[in-house]
Amino acid sequence: MGQYFAKRLLYLFGVLIVVSVITFFIMHQVPGGPFSREKQLSPTALANLNAKYHLDDPLYKQYLDYMIDLLIPTITTGEKTFSVTDNYLINFDIPGSEDTAFRWINFGPSYRSQTRSVNDIIREQLPVSAKLGAASLLIAMVIGIPLGTMAALKKNTVYDYFSMSTAILGVSVPVIILGPLLKYILAVELGWLPTQGWGEFKHLVMPAFALGFAQSALLARLTRASLLQVLNEDYIRTARAKGLRQRQVVIVHAMKNAMIPVATVIGPLFAALITGTFVTERVFGIPGMGSYFVTSIQNRDYSVIMGTTLVFAFFIVIANFIVDLTYAWLDPRIRLS
Amino acid sequence: MRKSHKGFVFALVLVVALLLSSTSLITAQETKVLRTAYLPGDVIIDPALGTWMNEIQLVNMMYIGLTTLHETTVEIQPGFATDWSVSDDGLVYTFNLLHDVPWVRYDMGAGEVVQVTDENGNVRVVTAHDFVYGINRTLDPDTGSQYAPTLARWVVGGMEMLAGEDVELGVAALDDYTLEIRTPRPAGYLGMIYGMWMSRPHPQWAIEEYGDAWTEAGNIETYGPYTVKSWEHDVQITITKNPFWPGTDYVPPAIIDDFEFVYLEDPAMLAAFEAGELDWIPTVPLPDLDRMRVEYPDELRITSDICTYYYGFNTIIEPTDNVHMRRALSMAIDRATVVAISNGGQIPAGFFTRPDVAPGLKQEDYPDMAIWSDPEGAKAELALYFEETGTTLEDLPPITLMHNTSAAHAIIAQAVQQMWKETLGIEVQITSQDAQVFNETLRRDAPAVYRAGWCYDYPDASSFIGDVYRSVGPDSNNHTNWGPQEFFDLLDEAAVETDTAVRRDLYAQAEGWLVNEAAAIAPIYYYTTQQMTQTYVDRTYDAARLEKLNTWDINR
Amino acid sequence: MSATQISEQPSTASSHVLHLGKQLADTTTRSPWIDALRRLRRNRAAIVGLIVIVVNVIAAIFAPMIAPHHYETQNILAMNSAPQWVTDVFPKMVPTGETGGYIRVNNDYILGTDSLGRDLLSRIIYGARISLSVAFVGPFFSLLVGTVFGMIAGYTGGRVDNLMMRFVDIMYAFPTLLLVILLMAFFRASFTAGDEGSIAYRLNKIDSAFGGMLFIFIGIGLTSWMDTARLARAQVLSIRQQEYIDAAISIGARDTTIIFRHVLPNILGPIVVAESMAIPRYISFEAFLSFIGLGVNPPTPSWGSMIADGSNALISFPNQAIFPALALFFVMFAFNFLGDGLRDALDPRSNKA
Repeated sequence: MGQYFAKRLLYLFGVLIVVSVITFFIMHQVPGGPFSREKQLSPTALANLNAKYHLDDPLYKQYLDYMIDLLIPTITTGEKTFSVTDNYLINFDIPGSEDTAFRWINFGPSYRSQTRSVNDIIREQLPVSAKLGAASLLIAMVIGIPLGTMAALKKNTVYDYFSMSTAILGVSVPVIILGPLLKYILAVELGWLPTQGWGEFKHLVMPAFALGFAQSALLARLTRASLLQVLNEDYIRTARAKGLRQRQVVIVHAMKNAMIPVATVIGPLFAALITGTFVTERVFGIPGMGSYFVTSIQNRDYSVIMGTTLVFAFFIVIANFIVDLTYAWLDPRIRLS
Repeated sequence: MRKSHKGFVFALVLVVALLLSSTSLITAQETKVLRTAYLPGDVIIDPALGTWMNEIQLVNMMYIGLTTLHETTVEIQPGFATDWSVSDDGLVYTFNLLHDVPWVRYDMGAGEVVQVTDENGNVRVVTAHDFVYGINRTLDPDTGSQYAPTLARWVVGGMEMLAGEDVELGVAALDDYTLEIRTPRPAGYLGMIYGMWMSRPHPQWAIEEYGDAWTEAGNIETYGPYTVKSWEHDVQITITKNPFWPGTDYVPPAIIDDFEFVYLEDPAMLAAFEAGELDWIPTVPLPDLDRMRVEYPDELRITSDICTYYYGFNTIIEPTDNVHMRRALSMAIDRATVVAISNGGQIPAGFFTRPDVAPGLKQEDYPDMAIWSDPEGAKAELALYFEETGTTLEDLPPITLMHNTSAAHAIIAQAVQQMWKETLGIEVQITSQDAQVFNETLRRDAPAVYRAGWCYDYPDASSFIGDVYRSVGPDSNNHTNWGPQEFFDLLDEAAVETDTAVRRDLYAQAEGWLVNEAAAIAPIYYYTTQQMTQTYVDRTYDAARLEKLNTWDINR
Repeated sequence: MSATQISEQPSTASSHVLHLGKQLADTTTRSPWIDALRRLRRNRAAIVGLIVIVVNVIAAIFAPMIAPHHYETQNILAMNSAPQWVTDVFPKMVPTGETGGYIRVNNDYILGTDSLGRDLLSRIIYGARISLSVAFVGPFFSLLVGTVFGMIAGYTGGRVDNLMMRFVDIMYAFPTLLLVILLMAFFRASFTAGDEGSIAYRLNKIDSAFGGMLFIFIGIGLTSWMDTARLARAQVLSIRQQEYIDAAISIGARDTTIIFRHVLPNILGPIVVAESMAIPRYISFEAFLSFIGLGVNPPTPSWGSMIADGSNALISFPNQAIFPALALFFVMFAFNFLGDGLRDALDPRSNKA
């Protein structure tokens, strides 16, 4: 088991390295740059900016410098500086020493913001997205899995049709329509909730619902399909033949197995949701990290592209790892290799 | 019963508060807060680094320039300089500065704006030395200022310094309150350039203490009517009244205590405004304007803007390398219809330079110079094209109309596509590109027709046609590949001409050459600004879109 | 982009399933596949779904004959207009003439017009061309690549499985938007160069022949298969341990036989359902691509881009976004019933239960 964990950790590291290499080189191939804009910069100003951020170095050197800053921990003594290029995600004073600090993981400065580092973005915006993502996933699961279970157990009844219609509705109405509609009715016309903002529970309600509803549809449909399949498995019939009551059969035996495909989808979904969603954040004015996935690419803000991609990759790999652990738990026949 | 009970508690609180501190009670009672929004994209409030409207607006409220612009006429007027003189050869500018204006910052602990003191406890006041430092810092290549070149051209040694040479700048403090700037060449609009945001004083001691973090809330030191109170990046920024700004005839002290800016997309802004969560939104989604006109006639206001919308032609690829083809395309654009579709009260453009900047070039005054929508004329030009090239409509090489991705550009492109098809029988293909790819495409190999826009930096024709079309090539903003030397000479002559009427004629001549005779570009419309403000806000509208927030008031 | 698109529109499949089924049936012999078709025929809801889809396909093909107007005909006098019944349905849309009225009433257009005065109904009918292609091609890519990839990984297991799934992790994490912009820049920007032999030139020719859809397909192909692969693998892992697989192995059946005859029919259910649920994601991905400039060339309409454009004026002119969304909703319903029918049909034991 310990060996398994060590192996997976190594894989995690490997995936991150590969993702960083591909992203870094592709992003530099894409035309444009962090300082390219409609109103052209004078060549002198552009050269100065490129020099300031070492964008005039050869690509391989830029990559190595970036990875060194990112991965190699440093121990600093003396006063902390306020430079955006010298900002670390993990930053604590070594106990027992006067002013010696352990500092690790530096994603670099944002070229667009100039006075802000990517670490600041991760520190301040990621928790916002994580909170919204977790809330919407919870809503999706709380609505979706029972709906799907109900539909499967009462196949081809009114309950089935109702839950499936809800699911289709949820999945066909994009957030870009559902969001503004909800907002117009609940906030502008009725005045029950604020249209935008962040920080209190009332700010969370609409976006979490809008986001969760679409995902719940997916989970409901998947749960139904998967459960129907499992209910036909031999061992379930055996269990029934043994005289276990229907409900017990479902909960104890079937649900566990039926959750395998559901877990498969929830894993990456979770990673995607907690790192933020562009449309929902923009519609409801939520200061999450999702916007950066798109704007950093539009702005060619190289360090932000790298930062958001690596953070997302990290969560994806972790989530998929947890999914694999869940498989083993849900279905003991699957061994961890 | 309950109500009176509440009232009693409230009175008690009042009394206690009064006993504790009478001053804080008064401010608490009278605090006026205006809630507004900016489009997403965090601001940069370092005066050396700011580049776009929202940033300049905040910088303008915190760092008053040597000169300012009149709110409606956008003519130059005193700012931090009470008056100035120019030497006879136009090469030396001497500014007399306001006295005893203190640097201030917002003290997070105390919750109030305080004056900055030096190591001896004396209040630091803004001096000519701070201007000298600020200009030196802007022109320092390590600062990475994007607007540095606009200033550098007009300061002796500026370009050399920007290129990394170790030179002495032609900027000097003659005494604490007298600033001298020397320019290598004279020009009539230099007073404006010396007043721009990259030419402001910077607090050297704070920058040296905090480094890149010097503009953070609590660190930043300013002297204008407002200063930063709180700033959560990408979430909100709040500016608060600086009680120590003495106020002048041109820059009065602030009335509203706080302006809170949150970052929202424009549809979200509108919803928040309709829900009463915002007092002012500086932009309104164009598709909603019809509804706004009837539902919020008193709140909605359409005013002038600082930009021009136009199409450029690549004059070295077929078929737009032929002037008749370009004139045909330009004349076949029904500008009135484009404006009707855009629906924001935009003004059809016959010149590239806006009429509301110096020297006041109006297409009505120069009807022969401006380009006009004219379907018959367009057909005649097309016939000339076929005659000259000996081709027919079937032989026409494919024409691509490219725009940077945006719903509004796509609508206009499709309308123009239809006009060209109906009037000229020419089919063009529309392609859109991600904005950055689009910029690079224009530099390298521009398509036959491309969408473009231009906003002035300072309200003068030299910041319009004189900036964009003074050069040609990948490093310039002129992607038409058109630009004869005589045309450049004409622009240079117009730039330094001091007689307004003569200058206007010179620019009209240049515009006529650009948009009509050579038809290198097809101006389409002059932008307008759509804003909504709750009726209890007593405000003005700035013609240069840099709202003078210090003059606003709230009367609920 | 991976983040956005996964999260905004949930994951995962469709109807080329039918074709896939047929192909597989040809290669593997008799019973399970033919049984499946027979079962599908008996499922009334699925047949209704199929009919709706077929009707849509026919409408898309014969759009010029059905649509009252051409999709690009502009009528500037009728910009943003709506017929009387639409203003009655949406109380917010007050016709001019009444207090607070701003809607130009024009009964010539059954669903109203867009901001260029183009007929919404005609654009929806023509838009089915793009949107249905996307709805077929997305799942096709996803099923073909994803299922095979996932099955190989799950069936082989061990080191190969691990490596393959790490590759999926990488593809998940990679910012698709970046790649898509790069592709667009690389191919679309170089048309003025006109080197007739170059790949860019040829691809560009193919793309314009498809009305700008080639890049949509590429974009979907790149982003759609990972979910399916993970799902297929999970299913295989679960199925592999079952007695009948052991039995098949013990009688010396070949791997391909086991995979196609025993594993595939048993795992297709959830995958097909997931794919049928993913169709709106593909359609919204298409809208997203249109939005960033990689989609269809205007004025060609698609439901996704109509929804995206209409959402800009959702409160003022709700008909511009809601009607294409309704079209999408009906097609989704149809795909859903068909998907369900396929799932039941493909599950060999579903009848015995």
